[in-house]
Amino acid sequence: MLMCRDLAEIASDYIDGELSARQNLSVKMHLMMCQDCRTFIGNLRASTRLMQAHSSGHPDEELLRRIDERISEALKTRRTRDNDEE
Amino acid sequence: MDTAVHPDIEGSLIEALKQGDSTAYKKAVRGYSPGMLAVARFYLDHSSAEEIVQDCWVTVIDAIHKFEGRSGLKTWLHRIVANRCKNKLRSSKREVATDFSEGLEPELAERFNATGRWDVPPKLKFHESADTLMENGALSDCLDKHLSALPETQRSALMLYEAHQHKSEDVCNILDVSASNLRVLLHRARQKIFLMVETFQETGEC
Repeated sequence: MLMCRDLAEIASDYIDGELSARQNLSVKMHLMMCQDCRTFIGNLRASTRLMQAHSSGHPDEELLRRIDERISEALKTRRTRDNDEE
Repeated sequence: MDTAVHPDIEGSLIEALKQGDSTAYKKAVRGYSPGMLAVARFYLDHSSAEEIVQDCWVTVIDAIHKFEGRSGLKTWLHRIVANRCKNKLRSSKREVATDFSEGLEPELAERFNATGRWDVPPKLKFHESADTLMENGALSDCLDKHLSALPETQRSALMLYEAHQHKSEDVCNILDVSASNLRVLLHRARQKIFLMVETFQETGEC
């Protein structure tokens, strides 16, 4: 029988639909009987949604400026090369 | 631009990049660099990762003409970064140290008794809506802090899967990890975020 700890170990796989049909059924059966695990799964799901809503990292402005500069130089070089070829 | 981009919008952006339009490059750099940096940080230290991302953008100027659209632009860019990082690691004969040990985070594991039942069950229900939670500035700062503290491997997997909405298969290709190891990385990272939100909800402290 699936215990609360077992369920906690495979909770992400359950949330992402990565479990086999049999495992999925055992999780569902367990959740029907266990309020604590229902809260746990709900909270883990909310944490996952929180991550999705959270910004995915911000490179600093200095890095973006350096990239802009390098692209600008490379575009110039490419244009010169294309003009020479014509 | 980190999540799904409408194909028409992405199509026009790609066309503008092929024309060498510098405004389009600025837009793309701001939209796609966060994800590219997350990929590079999986493999490399901070300053090497930033260098690789810069180099990749220069490569893109020529490579974009060969882009056939078999994958989305985001996946294509992330693969370029991953391949560069792998080459760099190969040339320096280094490997990414990753902890794929299974199981629960110790802090969560100790909340179960010997029979496998909850000893210290989750007390509070988190708010249903992530938007409501995110409106709490202090929680958002706390999340930033905890995300920065995650091991790079867990953070990159979480970023690509959750924030950048890549499919598992793409994340495995980009980060060069097996499907089962990706599951371990994701689950461990999520548990840490769960524990952080729980502490924050209960105590108001980060």
